[in-house]
Amino acid sequence: MFGKKNTTPIPAKTKEEMPYVKAGMSFKAWREKYGGRHKWRTIRWAVLIGINGLFILSFLLDLSMLEGSLSGSRLIGFYLMDPFNTLQQLVISFYTGHWVHLTMNFVIGASTIFIFYFLMGGRTFCSWVCPYHFLAEWGEKLHNYLVKKKKIKEHTYNRYLRYVFWVGFLLLAFFTQNLVFEDLNPVGIISRAMIYGPGLILLWILLLITFEIVYSKRFWCRYVCPIGATYSMVGQLSPFGVKFELDKCAHCLDCQNVCLVPHELWFVERGKATSQRHDVGADCTRCGLCIDVCPGNALSYTIKGWDKIL
Amino acid sequence: MKRQADGLNRRQFLKSSAIAVGALAAVGAGVGYLQKVTTEKRINQQFLRPPGSIDEKDFIYACIKCGLCIQICPVQAIKFAGIKDGLAYGTPYIDARSQACDLSCDSIQCVETCPTAALYFVPFKNAGEKAIEAYNKTHKIDENYNPFPVQIKAMKRQVRMGRAKVNDKTCLAVLGKGFKGTPRGDDFKGINRSPYGDSPSATPLRDKQYDTKICDICVKECPMGEEAIVLDKHTRADGTVGYKPKVLDGCVGCGVCVMVCPTEEPSIVVEPLIAS
Repeated sequence: MFGKKNTTPIPAKTKEEMPYVKAGMSFKAWREKYGGRHKWRTIRWAVLIGINGLFILSFLLDLSMLEGSLSGSRLIGFYLMDPFNTLQQLVISFYTGHWVHLTMNFVIGASTIFIFYFLMGGRTFCSWVCPYHFLAEWGEKLHNYLVKKKKIKEHTYNRYLRYVFWVGFLLLAFFTQNLVFEDLNPVGIISRAMIYGPGLILLWILLLITFEIVYSKRFWCRYVCPIGATYSMVGQLSPFGVKFELDKCAHCLDCQNVCLVPHELWFVERGKATSQRHDVGADCTRCGLCIDVCPGNALSYTIKGWDKIL
Repeated sequence: MKRQADGLNRRQFLKSSAIAVGALAAVGAGVGYLQKVTTEKRINQQFLRPPGSIDEKDFIYACIKCGLCIQICPVQAIKFAGIKDGLAYGTPYIDARSQACDLSCDSIQCVETCPTAALYFVPFKNAGEKAIEAYNKTHKIDENYNPFPVQIKAMKRQVRMGRAKVNDKTCLAVLGKGFKGTPRGDDFKGINRSPYGDSPSATPLRDKQYDTKICDICVKECPMGEEAIVLDKHTRADGTVGYKPKVLDGCVGCGVCVMVCPTEEPSIVVEPLIAS
């Protein structure tokens, strides 16, 4: 981040330097033996289902553990607030001059979320908490299957489109004095539907997921969702993340294929890496799919600065 | 080369941005339209906001649709509005006819729990503190010292969801009729805590039996009691004298009277104050 970055790529590895050669195996055997685990995915799904389940149980059984929904909640009496809702409300308040809702609970809830996700890496929310991500993950599988079978074509867009939507939704909030995004927000809609019972609005979710399956992979998460964009900005400098070690990499690109944000894994391609170690950028959701799939353990979770101390 | 592979070239970005801006503009136009159409409708309908709700035009953005008020309500009077209410989708409302807010929580917790002050707690807190102050002036701290009932009462008086209005044409009391039995039938699910009973929490309305010569169920069940509604002498159009429930300034618009009214269509309705 600070100082001048080395932008000259390190020369590509020779075959003798490849990890599978060092292990004395053929590439195929090595990849089959060590790759394709599901450890982090299992843990992540357990956490995701656990958090959303706790919301449901808190309401059903009156547990008072995690009340509310993902738009705003209370964890054992401690408030938490959705960051994009927070931003929209601040923007609207500038228009109306009505600051009444800036209660202590609001401030505590918003800053807790900002601090927590600053430490955990922003978009960690997406893959570890967001119920729409869970749906879209299955949609993505189906989409990939259909593309492989040549039933449909892949459509990609510019990922910076998210920031157009981010600004756009804030402007809409400002000019209409309405939480416009919250009406379209699949996170809040699914969360509320799960906890308090379904409604017709779920048709919107169905439309989104269908669009993602048959037209553009992970369209909402990649190109629209301003919550993800906010988290991505929050997590720019976060210490927790995924690191890459060049000497363990065989450039098989399995990680890029499973990644939700493959552009963040640009350095795994042969001859692209500019240093022996790379940290994955702020768009990374810390989902751990690449860690699971990597046969050489070249990718792993890290807390920046800590591995130097330890 | 890499930039193009990433879909990062400028031309594509401008093209998709234009589509994005168009989509956002369409959403904005839709929101503007709904705002105009459904807000009016909401104000004119039986759309009660929970206690302590601020002015509707501020409420609509102050409420983040988290559902904490719904979760905390002990009688589950608060519900989420559906998409038929337009922009109010996901905001809390009370359908008094199926389940009214009977104020039996004794602490107006929905207001206290609201993280964004869409339900604004400060007036309630102040009213409660004021009541305790007044109580302290006339009471000594001894074994009988208990300021909480006056605090609760003062906080309840602060609720202003609407004001009840009697329909003279169908009200049984106005027609000179009595009522015997359970007012809403045996499968009605609504609950409330009667002010005359000794139950600490709300009980099902279907368990309550009434036998009155002149129907006064709304007056009996009103959680605010005599300061909100009384059975008053009433001269009918033809000159004969009868009775009629009279709504007073103490009415907080909780809607219990609407829920307990035994006529097919409620003869008493709460006119919401969400427009202000």
